[in-house]
Amino acid sequence: MSNDIFVITEHMDGKFSDVSFEMVGKAKELANAWGGQSVSIVVGSGISSDGFASDSTIQVDDETLNRFNPEAYGKVIEALVKEKSPRLVMFGWSATGMDLAAWLSARLGKPCVAYVKGINIEGGALIVNSQIYGGKMMADVSPEGDMAIVAVLAGSFPVEAGQGSTAATQIASPVLLDGLKIKFVEAIKPAAGDVDITAQTKLVSIGRGIGSKDNVELAEELAKKIGATVSSSRPVVDAGWLPRTRQVGKSGLKVKPKLYLMLGISGAPEHLEGMKGAELIIAINTDKKAPIFNVAHYGSTADLFEVAEAMLELL
Amino acid sequence: MNIVVAIKHIPSIADDLPVKGNNVDFDSVDFVLNEFDEQSIEQAVLVKEATGGTVTVVGVDMIGELDGVLHLALAKGADKAVKITGDDPAADSHQQAKWLAEAIKGMSPNIVFAGVQASNDLDGQIGPMIAAHLDMPYIGGVSSVEVAGDTATVNKEFAGGFGAKYAVSLPMVVGVQASTKPPRYAPISKVRQVAQTATIEKVAPSGESSARLTMKKMAPPVVTGHAEMFTGSSKEVAAKIVDLLKSKGLA
Amino acid sequence: MLTTIERIVFVVLALTSVGFTIHGIKTIVDSVRKGRSAPEVKNIPASLVKAGIAVLFQRTIFRTRKILSTIHLGLFFGLITYAFVNLVDILEGFIPGFDLVYGGKHPAFPFLNSGIINTFNLIADVMSGALLFSVTVFLVRRFIVKDKQLTYRENILLNPKVKAGGQNKDSLIVGTFVILHVAARLMGQAFRLTDGADAFTPIASFLNGIFGASQTGVHVAWWVSLCWVLYILPYITRSKHTHFTVGPVNLGLAKQNPRGQLDPAVPAGVRATRTSPIPEPGAKFLHDLSWKRILDSYACVQCNRCQEVCPANFYGRPLSPSALEVNKRYLIKEATFGSHPERLLLPLTETVISAEAVWACTTCHACVSICPVGNEPMADIIDIRRRLIIDGAEIDSGVQNALQSLATNGNWMNKGKRLRGRWAKELEFPVKNASEEQVDYLWFVGDTASFDERVVPNTKIVARIFNEAGLDFGIMYQNESNAGNDVRRVGEEGLFEQLVEQNMGAFGKAQFKKIVTTDPHSFNTLKNEYPQFGGKFDVTHYTSVLVKLFDEGKLTVKNKLSNYQVTFHDPCYLGRYNGEFTAPRKLLEMVGVKFNEMPRNCETSFCCGAGGGQIWNGKVAPGERPAENRIKEALTTFDKNPSDKKLLFIVTCPKDMIMYSDAVKTTGKEGKIEVRDLIQLIAEAVGLEMPLEAEAVASAA
Repeated sequence: MSNDIFVITEHMDGKFSDVSFEMVGKAKELANAWGGQSVSIVVGSGISSDGFASDSTIQVDDETLNRFNPEAYGKVIEALVKEKSPRLVMFGWSATGMDLAAWLSARLGKPCVAYVKGINIEGGALIVNSQIYGGKMMADVSPEGDMAIVAVLAGSFPVEAGQGSTAATQIASPVLLDGLKIKFVEAIKPAAGDVDITAQTKLVSIGRGIGSKDNVELAEELAKKIGATVSSSRPVVDAGWLPRTRQVGKSGLKVKPKLYLMLGISGAPEHLEGMKGAELIIAINTDKKAPIFNVAHYGSTADLFEVAEAMLELL
Repeated sequence: MNIVVAIKHIPSIADDLPVKGNNVDFDSVDFVLNEFDEQSIEQAVLVKEATGGTVTVVGVDMIGELDGVLHLALAKGADKAVKITGDDPAADSHQQAKWLAEAIKGMSPNIVFAGVQASNDLDGQIGPMIAAHLDMPYIGGVSSVEVAGDTATVNKEFAGGFGAKYAVSLPMVVGVQASTKPPRYAPISKVRQVAQTATIEKVAPSGESSARLTMKKMAPPVVTGHAEMFTGSSKEVAAKIVDLLKSKGLA
Repeated sequence: MLTTIERIVFVVLALTSVGFTIHGIKTIVDSVRKGRSAPEVKNIPASLVKAGIAVLFQRTIFRTRKILSTIHLGLFFGLITYAFVNLVDILEGFIPGFDLVYGGKHPAFPFLNSGIINTFNLIADVMSGALLFSVTVFLVRRFIVKDKQLTYRENILLNPKVKAGGQNKDSLIVGTFVILHVAARLMGQAFRLTDGADAFTPIASFLNGIFGASQTGVHVAWWVSLCWVLYILPYITRSKHTHFTVGPVNLGLAKQNPRGQLDPAVPAGVRATRTSPIPEPGAKFLHDLSWKRILDSYACVQCNRCQEVCPANFYGRPLSPSALEVNKRYLIKEATFGSHPERLLLPLTETVISAEAVWACTTCHACVSICPVGNEPMADIIDIRRRLIIDGAEIDSGVQNALQSLATNGNWMNKGKRLRGRWAKELEFPVKNASEEQVDYLWFVGDTASFDERVVPNTKIVARIFNEAGLDFGIMYQNESNAGNDVRRVGEEGLFEQLVEQNMGAFGKAQFKKIVTTDPHSFNTLKNEYPQFGGKFDVTHYTSVLVKLFDEGKLTVKNKLSNYQVTFHDPCYLGRYNGEFTAPRKLLEMVGVKFNEMPRNCETSFCCGAGGGQIWNGKVAPGERPAENRIKEALTTFDKNPSDKKLLFIVTCPKDMIMYSDAVKTTGKEGKIEVRDLIQLIAEAVGLEMPLEAEAVASAA
């Protein structure tokens, strides 16, 4: 049992994600309050992990860990956690963290909080703030026992606080990594030939409210008029109305355009995660209680088709 | 092949959620199938159609209204439906995952599907927890599954259109992000027919587990900022937006 | 007149002809009998007589195309006359001395006095002329003018034989028959006039003046004339001209239930089988259609009146109700008279109507209402939809979304049930919850009026007017579900039944005397179809309630709206389906606007294009939409009645509000014409004061 805080960092192609730094920053703050150590955990192979501000960085290096493999990564992390018994284990609520946090919780019988937006210490006890029900509710919970696992939504903490220059300590895998049931086969790259929405300065982004595939054209026409590109929220892509390369949000791309014009997107937290950094956010959605209006700079509850058509005429 | 789908019946977020004490007032909300479970049921049926086998859908009956959901799943192509008589609208993911794992264990599954997440997964999702209890590998964020022999080939999605293909020796648990094809429509006549003829197996909850979280407070998010709202006719709104874009040199 | 050999030859030929004719009739009867059962036709003799009278006066064809219908009149009476003429000719051939020229008579028939005979001769002679004239007009119309009304657009599914000109061939054969037959008969009459002209046969006398009399000529003409008849009788049973006889019968057997009540999806007597545990609803194959729908195809002569009024056809979609009928008949013909019985085992969507056409129907009922012979092509289309849905056919993504939402939320807009009555909570007075307290009027609000931000302001005005008039009304808030009118017409019968059950449950808990609706679609199904499910209510549309409130003095017009010039669009489900044409017009008169009727009004009102689930469609086809065409029609109407008043297009249906507001924009007519719900005029006329805040909300929405 220690007051250490583990941050399970995430990386792809040698680059760490923002949420990794966000968590490290937060871990430092919490570790200070508790008198423990913040420890960045890097599971991988041959990557440079010296950029964190944590008290220490442990890099588990093994050829098998070259690519994300939930089984192998899980085994390694479980072994480390069991060995060091940290007070808190932080994952990102991301494609990788989502595979591991709840799994580890069930393996170890330790509490887990998902959709985490905030972590505070009140009277020595941990209070975790979670954004559930599609952003409609915030829950404050206190995990019982001597260890907690959290899965943190990207964008919850500042990135800068986690950036530093702590040298990583390389260790070999604490567990044998043969006989794995999951085998990495190949990486899937975004469909080639499509535009890179992260490189666009203007996006017209459409959501469920667009209604059907055929209405996508209207958005495309509008985008063309203002020199923008069409992006979307997840349901539009799941329905096959736009390619995956256009998806903004947690499971899609993070964008920071100068203009983000939203048609029919209610603003689920997963989507907000991908576009909050846009300079000018204008949202059109008929539901006046849609969470997007808490984030957008300008909004309207008018009919999106009418507005889009009227804009086309005016432009 | 035994294909199992573990589902969650969760409060609908189409309505405003009322709060009672430190939790949602479960008496005054509608419960619906987790939207990712629609994808996972479809994926399971697609796998069955490709390889043969039976699809068993299993869920915890939170408020005694799970039958409708199970009938829908049967109408969409599932073969068997099982409900765990939890009757506790506040049962957390840990508890549900434990009950589900105990029920699924006896089904000798080759592959278990679950929705990648649910909006009420305060304490994490059931998929990875079921995998932990059954000691099976888990991959979430999956958007396609093919089964050949005792190996499943799955595509997992990462952010930004990146992904990875994995080959997994069965049995395994799959967290479905999106099914290969969009979920099919189940004609209500079929659902109603199923409702009249199908038997839903009832299983008593077995096994204890808990999220071990003490709820301190639950409330709608404090609104820190609000968009400046454009009012008027659609035309007026459009004009205001166009003016704004022009003033910022964006149009 | 005939020699013995001639007699024997004629009898043999006649028996052969009758044999083939009977075979033809039997084949038709057998095919029709293979259809599924139809709702019972009550009091068949009476309705046949009624239809007979309608046919005699040619009432049903005069609904449109007045000139062509008049010409059809000549054809109709000409052919009836010729049935007698042919009979008399045969008697003449077989009974020696039976001679009707110059008013002559036969001793065996003492009742045939010269007066009767002269009248008969005159009618026969004149009708011969009428027949020749009308057939010539029709042939010229088809083959020389090539009237577009008689053709099908390229994108419409047609039986290959029809495409190759099968109908033109039919027309040519029958047209030639009529001309040659009548000409031969006239010549025969001319040759008989041995004493020169007969005043009672002017045309024959004229011919006699040219060709003279000839006994050989009489024989030849007799044979030519009647051989044509012997040939044509069996031919008719194998052509579109079954219309002659089946048309009137079909009209007599036409639907007796209210227009707004669809036949059951699963007809009586259809049961589940081992292969289909659910009794199969609707139709996949020809014989899944009810026998009446099969009979329809024999009644149809492809006049294409239906195609002309069809909004989907107007919109360029591949739908023609008449093509559906002709394809059905050809399918049977190929299976029975031809050698392709296997084609009956092909789905109807491959043989008679394309799936795209099936999904294009707005269920506006215009094709059924206009049909002179009582056909119901729309019923076929809905039956085909019903089976496509149950068979899991791919449906438009927009329609699927709507159905899914209706199944879970009870509305098609993906809104939470509890939000249904939210608009009422934003009013400055409480609206009673009919599920909790007794009300006189239960207002069934409907989805669009409850949720659509473009319509909600009008919904609130209706509430305010009711409130102002002291009407005791309430709504069912979250207990109301979509009434299911369009769900049923999309073919999702199971979902319709589920919605009916939900609403019936809600009605059961509520206490009310009458139901009032703002939505004509809900109005239709509540009024006409809920009784099939045990829900017998007194259902009215809000326009009738308003008329009543004015009559009782509970509402009074304070401001005459003489600054407006308006036209009114009859919603299909209020007007054509339920015959309510007067209440809205009466209200318009009361509020003092200048009113102009559009050319297509009341029974012939042109659909906005939204019904039957079309409003849910994700696909927007190219081309001029019905609603756009309607706005133009309104403007032309105003152009003919110029004034300097503000022009308004008045609607009484939430869907119309959306469709036409949109059409005004897409046609670029903003500023020229404005779409308003009738209730907005009423509010202005009675001087309803709306709270400022409410007005602001309304305009913001």
